[in-house]
Amino acid sequence: MASLSSKRVYRTVALGAITALAVIAIAPFFMDIYTTNILIRAFYLAALVMTVDILWGYTGILTFGQSAFFGIGAYACALVFTHYGFGPLWAIGALAIGILAALAVAAIVGWLAFYHGASPLYASIITLALPIVLVQLIFAGGRWTGSSSGLSAFPTYYWSTETWFWIAGAYLVLVTSLGFLLVRSDFGRILVAIRENEERAAYLGIPISRIKTGLMMASGAVGAAAGFGYAAFTNVVAPELGDFLLGTELLIWTALGGRGTLIGPVLGAIGIDVTASYLSGTLPFLWKLLTGIAFVVVIVLLPRGLAPILGQAIGFVIPPLRRKPPQSAELVPADWRPIAASFDAPPLKIDELICQYGSLRVLTGVNATVKGGELLSIVGPNGAGKTTLMRCVSDGSERTAGRVYVQGVEIGRGAPQSIVALGVGRSFQNTNLFDTLTVAECLMLARYGVDGAPMFARRAEIRMPEPALDIMRATGLDKVLATETGSLSHGMKRGLELAMVLATEPSVLLLDEPTAGLTKAERTAIGHTLKRLTDEYGLAVVLIEHDLDFVREISSRIVVLHQGSVLMEGTVEEVVNSELVRAVYSGEQVEAVA
Amino acid sequence: MSGPILSLDEVSSGYGAATVLHGVSLSLRAGEIVAVLGKNGMGKTTLLKTIMGFVKAAAGSVLLDGAPITGRSPHAIVRQGVAYAPQDYTIFQDLTVEENLRLGVLADDIYRGRVDMLGDVFPRMLERLKQRAGTLSGGEQKMLLMSRAIIARPRIMLVDEISEGLQPTMIERMAEVLRRTRSEHGTAVLLVEQHLSFALSVADRYAVLKLGEIVDEGVAAEGAAKVAEHLKV
Amino acid sequence: MSILVLDIVTTAAILFAVASGLMIILGVMKLINFAHGAFLTVGGYTAFLTTEAGITPWLSAPLAAIFGFLAGIVIERLVVRPLYSRPLDAILATWGLGIVIGQVITLTFGREVQFAASPMSGTFDFGAIDYSAYRIVVTLIAIAIGIALTALFYGTRFGLQARAVIMNETLARGLGIDSGRVRTLTFGLGAGLACAAGALITPLLSVDPNMGLPWLVNSFMLVLVSGVSIPSLALASLILGGAQVAVSTYISPIIGGLTIVVLAAFILRINPRGLGLG
Repeated sequence: MASLSSKRVYRTVALGAITALAVIAIAPFFMDIYTTNILIRAFYLAALVMTVDILWGYTGILTFGQSAFFGIGAYACALVFTHYGFGPLWAIGALAIGILAALAVAAIVGWLAFYHGASPLYASIITLALPIVLVQLIFAGGRWTGSSSGLSAFPTYYWSTETWFWIAGAYLVLVTSLGFLLVRSDFGRILVAIRENEERAAYLGIPISRIKTGLMMASGAVGAAAGFGYAAFTNVVAPELGDFLLGTELLIWTALGGRGTLIGPVLGAIGIDVTASYLSGTLPFLWKLLTGIAFVVVIVLLPRGLAPILGQAIGFVIPPLRRKPPQSAELVPADWRPIAASFDAPPLKIDELICQYGSLRVLTGVNATVKGGELLSIVGPNGAGKTTLMRCVSDGSERTAGRVYVQGVEIGRGAPQSIVALGVGRSFQNTNLFDTLTVAECLMLARYGVDGAPMFARRAEIRMPEPALDIMRATGLDKVLATETGSLSHGMKRGLELAMVLATEPSVLLLDEPTAGLTKAERTAIGHTLKRLTDEYGLAVVLIEHDLDFVREISSRIVVLHQGSVLMEGTVEEVVNSELVRAVYSGEQVEAVA
Repeated sequence: MSGPILSLDEVSSGYGAATVLHGVSLSLRAGEIVAVLGKNGMGKTTLLKTIMGFVKAAAGSVLLDGAPITGRSPHAIVRQGVAYAPQDYTIFQDLTVEENLRLGVLADDIYRGRVDMLGDVFPRMLERLKQRAGTLSGGEQKMLLMSRAIIARPRIMLVDEISEGLQPTMIERMAEVLRRTRSEHGTAVLLVEQHLSFALSVADRYAVLKLGEIVDEGVAAEGAAKVAEHLKV
Repeated sequence: MSILVLDIVTTAAILFAVASGLMIILGVMKLINFAHGAFLTVGGYTAFLTTEAGITPWLSAPLAAIFGFLAGIVIERLVVRPLYSRPLDAILATWGLGIVIGQVITLTFGREVQFAASPMSGTFDFGAIDYSAYRIVVTLIAIAIGIALTALFYGTRFGLQARAVIMNETLARGLGIDSGRVRTLTFGLGAGLACAAGALITPLLSVDPNMGLPWLVNSFMLVLVSGVSIPSLALASLILGGAQVAVSTYISPIIGGLTIVVLAAFILRINPRGLGLG
């Protein structure tokens, strides 16, 4: 079911790879041996830089530690060949050991750095600690690892430089092609979504920690294989191959080349490493000084690096190379069966919920139950704790005390994505979505929990439940599937937000002011859809809303929240006509009756 | 009579692509209290933030003493004699009452010269100077918020929903304080409110903000019925 | 045994002095200053130059502090200020700045290891043991730095403004605090402290263009574990520095060099708030 745009990517990659391989095949015959040697090193480092770009440029994980995986692969080669044996089987074994060790280390890094709630800074610090620890362990290895002087003159294949050049070149082309397919795939869009708005991605049920750890492991394997190749070629390993300085250099190359472009960092790495090799003979420190200055200037003034500028220049000269507008996937109806009412456990039960920030008590023991097919509206003045209530229901780490049950299951301290997996969908008050993703990509993202996302392809069709399609049509979103969400109107953003939540096929829907700032017609359409969700699909809906007219039209029950506790609960008529509610809304002090 | 000390001329502003205020014009004369009324989400807070320079006006201009201040940073605007009492309990919870008050003025010796004047309006604040602000009750925190604005002795005070969550007696107290500040120091006040009776009882004039536009303006004493209609739940 | 205690206390004091500049920048500016290591190096070379010029070594730390403060103010304006809304980029830019400083030093002074004179040599006599007098002096200076920082942040108007900016920058600006100025001064102060610390530790070690690097990483870890609080930083320095000394003494100096990094990473994994005392 590969889409047209998927085929176009395949064609581009195949064409690029064949061209690159052809250049690599004939290049050694036109270069001196010194240049060839330098390029072999540059190719392996470029493969490593590519993983940095996927992690940092695409997914937003600032990593200082990718050099460690290069070092692990290199030392696996050197240690096996020096101490244990040499031959085709030994070589394969050493490569396997290097890759497995890298996978294991990456898994530990992932466990340490990417747990739910970890700050991006903490993750960076862990990746910073990684090469430092590795190098110290190499120092501590004494004669076995060669300590600070490393290992050299171990047996290896005495192939010609051309052969090594071809191996390195082919490896780089292979991993870059795979990387390119990955970032252009549906899965690649998910990486961008994590970079742009990790919290929102988690609330769509995307398993952030698992994806980041998996990505780190894959990057580690690619880096270890590159390190292995480099060590086998040079016959020398030293702690510098895995140290923190190389790790930061990778970042510099990525930044200068243009993060998030893949080809920019790869070419940047090759260009800078080769130039450095030539210049470091004559102007060693001056060269590093100039790179440092260029790096600071690029970070401050050109955060996207040099690639986009060059890309524009090339696109200007050769128009066909200009990026064509992405072709969008089409929406098809998904089969979302209405939820049968369950009698033993209500879809949502909130029991003595307390939430406290420091000395400030925002919720002071809230109780509520929402049945299937019911729409419960929560009203109350600003600061009553409405949004906090939503947050406590959808993220297990937020509440101070009390219990929340979804379909009879206690949510514990679960991260948002695990609560989404229980069937909770939450929409947010503010409408910042994933600005650089298109409407269709956002919807694809929301379907990750149900349909997954292919790693190396783009789907031609996105399955959407009927009510989500209704929203899309009512807000005109179905006509702008290929538009980036950053440029949508306010009403469309609200509509998309709701469509995305529905795309996760929730059984409990939490909506935080879904109609704020919408026109009358849009509000009516959303009200209609909500009614349908409760009546036909049996959803339990919790709605925060200020517009009492809207609340009156669609609610089954209303809860009035005031200063962190339930002031009143009742049918629409009881609440709307109550003097108490008028008093609360006009800002008077009232005593809780409950 | 001289011209307004603060005026907004066809100001539009918002956050990113979302425009919240659509061509709002409003003026405040020296010693005048003007109430801007409206329900939640109508742009009241954005209005004050735009005056303060926290939100950049996309169109139109904000004039202080007839000179445009659009694009200036908040601290520069404060230095021109504007005090801002933001919504909610916006005090430094982890600082003491005294430290909060010191931050209300531009230098510590000004603070020492003025702290006693609080004895007239909020004597309780003077008793609690060394207490951590976060341990005050909700009403006391609002008093502190107001004290911090008063001690600055501004020419213009921007007050965002001071009545919210307060008991009727406390609301009456706040109204009293605003009237006194005006009569004693000639402070002009721009009051943003949902609480109709409180706002109209202290204000000279009112304006109703609805979906980012001013839909009605008038003299406070005559506005009650009309405003109630606009704010109807 | 008592040598171990003295080692732990003096090591903790040195770590505290070295990390304090990083901490105040992190606290006020929410910025991890990767040029911190380079600032330490600059301080080291200030001490070296002071020795070369024949000035009393007691002046090297104050001179380094003044130089660092002025340089910090210029750097904040040029490099850091445009990046407030991009914190991860700010890390990278300060790292690039560190490279530039390191290379300028290399071009000026060469790569070789050099030495600076110590303000005092000899030992203090603690009954049964003699202990390096300068390490004791550095410990006292570190304690003085801790007291001075506490006085600055809790006893002056600048400190009050800085704390207000830490707690709620928007509100602080709404009260007329020029948060940009607070940030500039803080960066200058942090850079000045880092340079002074570099000058202080140099007589115990040696100077070379990369001397700041190992300290940089340990400082990060300490600051992240302690959060923004002067007593917490002292506590973290004592616990992690103590562990480092113990491991170096009883197991291996190489593994000892890893102690702070590894321990800190695990402490933060178990409790993301670290050892924060508030």
